[in-house]
Amino acid sequence: MSDTLPVEFAGRRGHLFWLALKTSFLTLITLGLYRFWMKTRLRRYYWSSVRPGGVPLEYTGRPLEKLLGFLVAVCIMAFYIGIVNLILMFLSFAVMGGNVAGYLISFVGVIPVIFYAQYRARRYVLARTRWRGIRFGLEPGAWGFAWRSAVHWVLTILTLGLLWPRMRFWLEKYMTDRTYFGTARLEQGGRWTMLFGPALYLAVTGAAVVAASSLLAAMPAVWSAALTWLAYLWLLYGFARFRALSWQRMTMHKTAAGVGFESNPRIWRVARIYLFGWLSIGVVLAVIGLLLGMVAVAALGADWDQLTLQDATQLPTWLAWAMGVVLYFSFFLTFGALRHALISLPLWRHYAETLTVTGPAAIDGIAQRDRDEFAEAEGFAEALDLGAAI
Amino acid sequence: MTTIRVGTGPEPFAFAGRWLDGHSAAVTETSLGFDEQRQTLVISVAGRPPVHWAIDDIRTLRDQAQRDVMILSVNGDPVARLIVEDPAAQDILRSRCDRLNRGPAPGGLRRLWFWAGAALASVAAIILVLVPVMANQLAAFLPPEGEAALGKATLGQIRQALADTESAPVAFCDSAAGSKALFTMAVRLTDGLDLPYDLSIHVLNHDMVNAFALPGGHVVLFRGLIDNADGPDEVAGVLAHEIGHVVSRDPTAAALRTAGSFGVLSLLLGDFAGGLVVLFLANQLIQADYSRAAEAAADQFAIDRLLAANVSPEALARFMDKLKAEFGDDSAIGRHFASHPQLGDRAETARGAIPVLNDFRPILTPAQWRTVRRMCG
Repeated sequence: MSDTLPVEFAGRRGHLFWLALKTSFLTLITLGLYRFWMKTRLRRYYWSSVRPGGVPLEYTGRPLEKLLGFLVAVCIMAFYIGIVNLILMFLSFAVMGGNVAGYLISFVGVIPVIFYAQYRARRYVLARTRWRGIRFGLEPGAWGFAWRSAVHWVLTILTLGLLWPRMRFWLEKYMTDRTYFGTARLEQGGRWTMLFGPALYLAVTGAAVVAASSLLAAMPAVWSAALTWLAYLWLLYGFARFRALSWQRMTMHKTAAGVGFESNPRIWRVARIYLFGWLSIGVVLAVIGLLLGMVAVAALGADWDQLTLQDATQLPTWLAWAMGVVLYFSFFLTFGALRHALISLPLWRHYAETLTVTGPAAIDGIAQRDRDEFAEAEGFAEALDLGAAI
Repeated sequence: MTTIRVGTGPEPFAFAGRWLDGHSAAVTETSLGFDEQRQTLVISVAGRPPVHWAIDDIRTLRDQAQRDVMILSVNGDPVARLIVEDPAAQDILRSRCDRLNRGPAPGGLRRLWFWAGAALASVAAIILVLVPVMANQLAAFLPPEGEAALGKATLGQIRQALADTESAPVAFCDSAAGSKALFTMAVRLTDGLDLPYDLSIHVLNHDMVNAFALPGGHVVLFRGLIDNADGPDEVAGVLAHEIGHVVSRDPTAAALRTAGSFGVLSLLLGDFAGGLVVLFLANQLIQADYSRAAEAAADQFAIDRLLAANVSPEALARFMDKLKAEFGDDSAIGRHFASHPQLGDRAETARGAIPVLNDFRPILTPAQWRTVRRMCG
């Protein structure tokens, strides 16, 4: 066996686009019920795309267990949210005489539950992920994650974001150090300061955008527009740079029982994926909007240049409604499916193809771990609407 | 399926695959064949006893990205996998194993139903029982300043929700003379009462025939209601009814109740319902769908106050009849003012309270009533 294991990627944009479009349409017409199936099927696709050493990852989560988890979470969260909201509303009016405080407190009250839910969701996903027939797993520790997250956030806010990379590192380390592949435990090495440079660079590009747009009044329009666009492109680059470098540095410092990783993502490639992806999505959605507009005009029998808002209100009500609904939903369906096909998948592909597993000889000695029965699945995250991507 | 055997038997089947036994992370090369006697797929690895998979129990993994590779699993073994890359072998497997594409058995359905029932029951218990009970209890403890703030906040939301455009909320009708006349009306109706806060009476420039009370002594009349009334006494009856709700703090309890219920509803519906929640909250307060007991108490309060102010409850009864004729028994406004399904004929109740001997006089002079009619220009 060679001493490195390249990671192949098998996913195709077209396949994923149709899968995402089909499943989100089914989700729509079942009033959201199919979303548990949609998530499962998309994950199966993404997971099976990633093939370290030619053996694909497998996602074994089931839709019904997700539905069950959601129901369990609703039972508990309904009490929490209903009663806590009511009491907070009462207190905020009784003590502070305004409802802003009530909303604020009730949001703050939900935050620890959000962190808790994030960890539980990660635990569920890892417990349902396999490679070479061996399960991944995450040790219990959701409340520890929740209070650490809360403290890190407070520190980050108090330092005006300066300690944000520190938070990212330590929270990722908390999770990684509790992650198992079979009997082998993962470990996150490195230091938080390795994320500081990329984060600072991103902050500088953000400041450049602010500076460029505040100079708008001081110079001719053409120049200021060009400058602003340049600043935005630089911001995009800064963002891609942060994503690529933080992924690379965090990944290269992960080890498990003698197995390690090499990662060489290219910043320009990541930036190009974001730029091309968002531009294409913009164009496609604009075309959809235009087509529906033309349908509306045809239905009206009006000329383009005579079309005013007044005419639009003279459409038959049912037609206007039907078109509005179609426009609204096709917009979101297409948007979601395109984002999978043009952004998520190319990113996954690039990160996978630039990843190499080192020291694979140790893998053969790794043995199976027990199944993590997990009645609530990712129900809390689902109920709180977290993890919207996949 | 039936296999047509020609001559000595089916063609021998021997292909390579990769075997993941589900116990170790090692990938083992394996050779595959069929055992015709036992109707199994035989997976042989050198130096180990062969594994038999019943043909009917073999399944493929679905939604796989790599479509020219087949990954097989077997019912009853959650971890073992067989990877088949050879296209010819895949064809033979597809023709032999006709349950290849079936889904896994949907286990745990009973548990699912149980939790679906539990989720429904807990949401229902919270929205229908726990939150209303707590809201009623808490409403009594809310200090007057708190109630005033709550009322102010909800009044703003309601004016925004009723508006046709996003930009401007529905306007108040303000005229010094009209407001003064309404104030006169309220003073006569509340004479001798000890209210925890001052009443503020607003007229909204909206053609809905309705009126509602908000926490902190706000009573809102719609222009449509004033336009629809034949004389000031009908408006006085409605006003007295709303003051009845104010006195028993019904709107305060309702506002707290909605705060509790909507968190739960938005939990079920997801984030897109954020905007709907506010709309729904406003709607709930306008519809003023109070309980039977609360409506009966407000009716009784209205009749008492009208009599105390020397105004005939006949006008209130007439107005109730009119609403009933116009909007029907079960409309929201019907439940509020005229014909709650479980309250019988409320107009008759009002008429029954009229004493034989009386010296009733209208609550406003004709001149004052005209100023009220003209409030919205």
